[in-house]
Amino acid sequence: MTTPPATAVLVVEDDPHLAAGVAENLRAEGYSVHAVTDGQQALDWLQGSQCALIVLDVMLPRVDGFTVCRTLRERGDNTPVLFLTARGDPADRVRGLEAGGDDYLAKPFHLQEFLLRVRAILRRWDWYRSASATPASAVLRFGGNEVDFRAFRAQSWNGAQQELTEKEAMILKVLAEHPGEIVSREDLLERVWGYDVFPSTRTVDNFILRLRKMFEHDPANPRHFLTVWGVGYRFLIDGETGARPTPRGEAAP
Amino acid sequence: MKAARVFQLAVLALAVVSAVQAGYWLFDLRSNAIEKVQSARTLYQQQIEAAQALLDGGASADRVQHLLPGVVVVGGRASLAPDVDRMLLAEEHKRINQYAWEGAFFLLALALCIAVISRALRAEAKVLQEQDSFLALVSHQFKTPLASLQLSLETMALRPLSPDQSGTLIDRMLSDLARMEAMVTQILESVRLERGRVDLRKEPIEIAGAVTRIVAHLEERAKRERVSISIEIPRGIYVLADPLAMDVVVRNLLENAIAAVAPVGGGTIVVAGRRIDAEVELSVRDSGVGFKPADGARLFEKFTRLHPGGGSGYYGTGLGLFIVRRLMQLAGGRVSAHSEGVGRGAQFTLAWPAAQPEPTPS
Repeated sequence: MTTPPATAVLVVEDDPHLAAGVAENLRAEGYSVHAVTDGQQALDWLQGSQCALIVLDVMLPRVDGFTVCRTLRERGDNTPVLFLTARGDPADRVRGLEAGGDDYLAKPFHLQEFLLRVRAILRRWDWYRSASATPASAVLRFGGNEVDFRAFRAQSWNGAQQELTEKEAMILKVLAEHPGEIVSREDLLERVWGYDVFPSTRTVDNFILRLRKMFEHDPANPRHFLTVWGVGYRFLIDGETGARPTPRGEAAP
Repeated sequence: MKAARVFQLAVLALAVVSAVQAGYWLFDLRSNAIEKVQSARTLYQQQIEAAQALLDGGASADRVQHLLPGVVVVGGRASLAPDVDRMLLAEEHKRINQYAWEGAFFLLALALCIAVISRALRAEAKVLQEQDSFLALVSHQFKTPLASLQLSLETMALRPLSPDQSGTLIDRMLSDLARMEAMVTQILESVRLERGRVDLRKEPIEIAGAVTRIVAHLEERAKRERVSISIEIPRGIYVLADPLAMDVVVRNLLENAIAAVAPVGGGTIVVAGRRIDAEVELSVRDSGVGFKPADGARLFEKFTRLHPGGGSGYYGTGLGLFIVRRLMQLAGGRVSAHSEGVGRGAQFTLAWPAAQPEPTPS
């Protein structure tokens, strides 16, 4: 896949050599790069400018990377974030993703792997944007719920307003593209995160639980987000009508 | 290492078992001694009963006492002779006392062994833990220059580069290597200092001259970062210090000061010295980024880096100020840091014992 010219990437890295190396390589791949050296500068820059991806170091002067990412998400900024950090243990990895990061790469990293991951994140976002481009595909209605994929907002059947994280929106998008079909956890991971980011496919289950809480009348007896035991999930726009218990053994509504 | 630990644990277990066993033995011996005296008393009781029977049968008191020496007859009644009673009591007390003293001694000795071994084990565990966290921190410090090095090399492998671009990458890699080498030196130095394996000399040093020489070495870098360094130290003040250690300490503070001033686009560093009673105080004041007043003490801990970015081309290892403090402690001096807050500059103050001026300063 060729990268569209001048996709903007923000590089936030306090080490001048690393910042220069990353920026040069991204430029060589056709991206336009803006580089800053601390978290506060990143937040300031992002208030006035937009980019397609943020490459974010964790240990930064003034404001650390996790805080930068969390602050962006609180602002409602869903720009994807690729963490680059010297702290590579699994706990930190999870922390980064919980802060709203899309991917996490430990230093020292392989240049080609880095470039692949950048491409993969941008591809996922390209897919999401193009899949939500028309007025018809931008809005999903099911069971009295209404989801606006472009605004990352939803209104539940009971009138409650919901803010969606980009991962919740992406999962919903993948499921909505295959109504009535079984979508495996692995497919969801691959489409939404990239396969090797999370330590376990259980993470997907947690997101599904959150979606059920938002959109199901009775989250314990789901009618739209059905578990297919041992495989994945099935999304039904009209809702399951029968009183058949789900394969997980949950009680019928 | 592991075998030694197993041995220590085995000895510890042995000592604990021995202590329990010795305690049990002592208790057993004490019961035994009481029992023996008790059975002696029972025997004497039988003698008394026999004596009473003889007396009741018409035997004379003298004869009865002659036959049974442990018995006295008073008014036709036989009873235990008072000296025998005393002897039995004394025997009982003697045994119990002996066991109590000997037992207490052995138990104390064993308890001491247990305490010494478990203390050694705890100390060892602490050292291991410290080594682990030190290693974790050190490896973390190395990852950034390593990542930069790897990135440069992979860039060269992946892309066709112009000679200029290659030159830039090579310079970058050489600088990364120099940075790692400096880190290795500092890490070794800090470990050496921490273990106290240094012998510092104490000789009179004329401080104005020493500082001027160090500043001269840093002048070029300071100019590049638009930092002006001024020295305000009267001539003829002598400190008692190790020349090499002093060089390291002052150079470190000056390099830090340059790194603190560079990010704000340049500024000033003032090195001032004065003698106060038996001490000589040297302060390095900069107009740089400063730090939160509460961070003043934390600065001297290992791997504290409040401004990881530093100036352009400067890389802190987080060990410089740790080394400074240790060297000052070993020299019998002290160091402190003060700042009014972020963005308001900082002042580091060193104090050495003053020396009398040499009769013929060279």
